[in-house]
Amino acid sequence: MAKIGVYVCHCGENIAGAVNVEEVMKYAETLPDVAVVRNYLFMCSDPGQDIIKQDIKEGKVDRVVVAACTPRTHEPIFRDALEAAGLNRYFLEMANIRDQDSWAHWHDKTGATEKAKRLIRSAVAKVRFAEPLEDRYGEMEKSVMVIGGGVAGMFAALDLANMGLKVYLVERQPSIGGMMIKLDKTFPTMDCSACILTPKMVEVAQHPNIELITYAEVDAVKGYVGNFDITVKKKARYIDWDKCTGCGVCTQICPSRVPNEYNYNMDQRRAAYIEFPQAVPKKAVIDRPNCLYFKSMEKTGKPACEICKKGIPPKGIQGCPADAIKFDDKDEYINLKVGAVIISTGYKVMDKTHFKEYSPHSKDVVTAMEFERIVSATGPTEGELKRPSDGTKPKTIAFISCVGSRDERYHTYCSKVCCMYMLKHARILKEKYPDIKLYLFFIDVRTAGKDFEEFYVYTRELGVKVIKGGRVSAVDVKPNGKLRVRAFDSDLCSPVELEADMVVLATAIEPPAGTEELGRLFAATCGREGFLREVHTKLYPVETAAKGVFLAGCVQGPKDIPESIAQSRAAASAAAALVIPGKIKFEAIISEVDREKCSSCGVCVPLCPYGAIRLEEYKGKDKAYIEPALCAGCGVCASACPSRAITFHGYTTEQIMAQLDALTEA
Amino acid sequence: MEEGGVNVIDLTQADESFIKELKELGAEELKECIQCGKCASTCPMALAGLEFFIKRIIHAANLGLRDILLEDSSVWGCQSCNRCVEVCPMDVVPYEVIQAVRRAAIKVESCPANTYEGLRNLYKFGHAVFPKGFEERRKKVGLPEKPPTALSNEELLKKYREVLRQTILEEIAPFPLD
Ligand SMILES: Cc1cc2nc3c(=O)[nH]c(=O)nc-3n(C[C@H](O)[C@H](O)[C@H](O)COP(=O)(O)OP(=O)(O)OC[C@H]3O[C@@H](n4cnc5c(N)ncnc54)[C@H](O)[C@@H]3O)c2cc1C
Ligand code: SF4
Ligand code: SF4
Ligand code: SF4
Ligand code: SF4
Repeated sequence: MAKIGVYVCHCGENIAGAVNVEEVMKYAETLPDVAVVRNYLFMCSDPGQDIIKQDIKEGKVDRVVVAACTPRTHEPIFRDALEAAGLNRYFLEMANIRDQDSWAHWHDKTGATEKAKRLIRSAVAKVRFAEPLEDRYGEMEKSVMVIGGGVAGMFAALDLANMGLKVYLVERQPSIGGMMIKLDKTFPTMDCSACILTPKMVEVAQHPNIELITYAEVDAVKGYVGNFDITVKKKARYIDWDKCTGCGVCTQICPSRVPNEYNYNMDQRRAAYIEFPQAVPKKAVIDRPNCLYFKSMEKTGKPACEICKKGIPPKGIQGCPADAIKFDDKDEYINLKVGAVIISTGYKVMDKTHFKEYSPHSKDVVTAMEFERIVSATGPTEGELKRPSDGTKPKTIAFISCVGSRDERYHTYCSKVCCMYMLKHARILKEKYPDIKLYLFFIDVRTAGKDFEEFYVYTRELGVKVIKGGRVSAVDVKPNGKLRVRAFDSDLCSPVELEADMVVLATAIEPPAGTEELGRLFAATCGREGFLREVHTKLYPVETAAKGVFLAGCVQGPKDIPESIAQSRAAASAAAALVIPGKIKFEAIISEVDREKCSSCGVCVPLCPYGAIRLEEYKGKDKAYIEPALCAGCGVCASACPSRAITFHGYTTEQIMAQLDALTEA
Repeated sequence: MEEGGVNVIDLTQADESFIKELKELGAEELKECIQCGKCASTCPMALAGLEFFIKRIIHAANLGLRDILLEDSSVWGCQSCNRCVEVCPMDVVPYEVIQAVRRAAIKVESCPANTYEGLRNLYKFGHAVFPKGFEERRKKVGLPEKPPTALSNEELLKKYREVLRQTILEEIAPFPLD
C-alpha cells in the first residue's frame, strides 16, 4: 500500500486568499492511502522542500502530492526534491490549486475550497498508480550546423568554434555576409558595414574548426537532437573552387550580361561572376541559365561560347589563367552528422511592386535596401547619389516609413529597424550634402534602442524634416518627372504635399523564401507572420519546438545588428550547453508501443507532431515504433491508437481513469 | 499650393533661410524640438484655442514655412508667461522662438495694427501700454498727475529714445523717429 504525503502550499496569499487550507487539509487526510498532510507558506522554498524530504527520509511517505501552482514551472523542482531524498522522481503529482482554482475563483471562497479538494483527490488517485520511471541518456554528436551565414550565423559559428566545437556553416549564396555586407554605414554608431564585417568574414573562413560550405542548402534531415544526419546540397559552380584564385578574369571577359541581384538589378553582372568585391570565399560561379555555353548546348548540342575557359585567342584575350572552368560540374550531396543546429537564415525586404499607390513603376521610387546600394561605394553608382531615372543629383528626397509594416493587408508587425535606418539615411546624406532637403514621413518615430533617441535628436538637428502622423497616401509622377508626395502632418494638423526628386520606401522585413520548408525539415514551427517561432518569448527566446534546433537573427523576427548578434551568441551558448556534455538526457515521460498489440494501422504515424513514430518490421509485419529520443511526451498517439497498444508513461490509462473517476465523483 | 486643395500645406514652398534667420534672431535651439507637446499643454495660446499655438509654431518654423507663420497673427497672442520655457524637456526655450518669429515679422511689417500702436507709444512715452485719462482722479487722491516714470521725465525719455534709435527700430519703425 502506498504512503501518500499531501503538501498544501499557501503560495503566500495566492492560494490561501481563496482556499480554506485548513479545511482542505482535513479533507485530504480522509483520502485513501494518504499518510501525511502538511502545509507551508511557500512549498517551493528550501524549508518547504525540506519538509517533503524529511518525511521521505523518515519513511513516512513514498508517494508525493504537492497541491500548489503549475507543474510547468515547478514540477522539476519537486522532482529533484524527491530524488534528493532517495525516491523515484516520478512518484510525484501536482494539483494546481492556484492557476486552476484560487486565481480563477477568487471571489468564490467556498467553491474554490471545494474545487481544491476535488483536484487533490484526483492527484491522489493518480499517484497511487505511479510507476517508477528512469530518465535515459543518449550519445551526443559534438558538432553544430549553422544554417545561414549572415552576421548572426557568423557570430554563432565563431563562438562555437572558439569553444572547440566542430561547426559546419551552410550558406545559400556564394559568399557569406548576408544583408549587413550590403549596408553602407550602420546605425547607431555609423561604422562602415564592410569595414567591421569583412575581417569577421575572413576569420570565419580561416577558423580551423569551421567548415564553410557556401552556395549550398540543406536538402534533407534525418535523426534527432544529438544525432542529426543532414544532407547538404552543394550547388554546381561550374568553376573548380580548388583552382579558382578569385582573379576575376572570367567575370570581365564573359559576354553574357544579366541584371545583378546583389545590387537589386540596378546594374549588371556577367554569367560568370563573383558575388561582390569582398566576397568570402572569393570564388567565381557560373550562372547556368544565363551562360551561353549551356544555352547553346541545350539547343544545338554545340557550345556557342567558351570564352571564360579559352579566352579569345585572335584578340590576344586569355581565358581563366587557373584553368578552373568546369562545365561538367555537378550538384554534390554531402552528409553531415551534428548534435545541434542553429538556423540563422535572416530576412528579405518587400518589393516595391506591391504598393501601387506609390508609383512603383517610377525608377525614382526605390526601396530602402536599394537606396543602401545606391549610397554604397560598392553599389551601382559607386556611392554617388544619383536619381535613377536621369542620373542627376536629387535636391529633395522623401522617405516613407512602415511600407507594408503595421498594415493589415501585408504585415501587422513593426519591422523595427526602418525608423532608425531612415534617420541613418538622412544623416549619411546631410553629412555629405548639407543643402539637400530631406523629408521623413513617419506614423510615429520608434527609436527604442541604446543610443537611438540621441541619434534621432542629432539627426533632427541636422535640419532633417520629420513629419509625424504622416504615412503617405500617394506618390504621383508629375508631368515634369518629379514626384508628388501626399501626407498628413499631425503636428501641423494639416494635409501636406511635397514635390520630391526621389522617394525611398522603408519596405517591410519578411522571412526569407523557404523559411517554412526549412523549419519543417527540422519540425521547427513558424508563427503567424512566417518567422520561425521561439518556444517562449521570455524564457526560451532561442529554442524552437524542435529539440536541439536553435534560432538566431532575423529569421525569428525583425531585428537590428546589435540584437541579431546578441541573439546569435545566446543561441551559440544554448547549443554549446547542449552539445558539450557529450550526453543527452531524455525525459521518461514518453510513449511506448506494445508491438504485440499494434494492429499495424499506422494512424499514429502522421499524428505525431515530432515525427517520432515510424512503421518498422517486427515478426514479419510493419509495426509502429516510437523513437524515444524524438518523442516529446505529448500523448497524442496514445489517445488515438484504436488498439490501445501505446502506453504513455506517466499517464497510463489506469492513472488517467483513476484521476477522472476521482474528479467526477460526487 | 498649385495643385492641392485650399487646405493643403505645400511643403515644397519651405524656405531654409527662414530657419537660419530665426536662429540668428534668438531661436537658437529651434531644431532640438521633438514635438512632444508638453509646452502646448500649458500654453495660454493653446488653451485659448488659437490655431497656431507654440508647438505648431515651432514645427512650422522648422519646416521653413515662412509665409504661413508670418501671415498668421498667433505669435502676437503669446502672453510671455514663460511656462513653455519652464516645462520644455529639450531646452528649446520656446518663448525665444515666439520672439524670433515676432522679430522676423516686424522686419517685413507683418504684424497686427495694435502692435504698431504699442511701438509708437513705447517710443513716444516710454511705455507700450499706459493708463490715459486718469490725471483728474490721480489728483483727487493726492497723486501727481503723471506717474513717476519716463512719462513725467522728459530728460530721461529723451535718453531712452536715443537708445531706441540705436536699435533695429531705426530701420523698421513705420513712423518717423524724430
Ligand atoms: C535597408 C536596411 C538597412 C539596415 N540598416 C541597419 C543598420 O544601419 N544597423 C543595424 O543594426 N541594422 C540594420 N539593418 C538590419 C540588419 O540588416 C539586420 O539586423 C541583420 O542583417 C540581420 O542579420 P541576419 O544574420 O539575421 O540575417 P541576414 O543578414 O539576412 O543573413 C542571413 C543569411 O542566410 C542566408 N540564407 C537564407 N536562406 C538560407 C537557406 N535556406 N540556407 C542557407 N542560407 C540561407 C542568406 O543568404 C544570408 O546570407 C538594416 C536593414 C535594412 C532592410
Ligand atoms: S561560357 Fe561564355 S557565357 Fe558562359 S560563363 Fe563562360 S564566358 Fe560567360
Ligand atoms: S520601425 Fe518604424 S518605419 Fe519600421 S515598421 Fe516600425 S514604426 Fe514603421
Ligand atoms: S510664453 Fe508664450 S508661448 Fe510660452 S507658454 Fe506662455 S504664452 Fe505660450
Ligand atoms: S518646444 Fe519643447 S515642450 Fe514644446 S513640443 Fe518642442 S520639445 Fe516639447
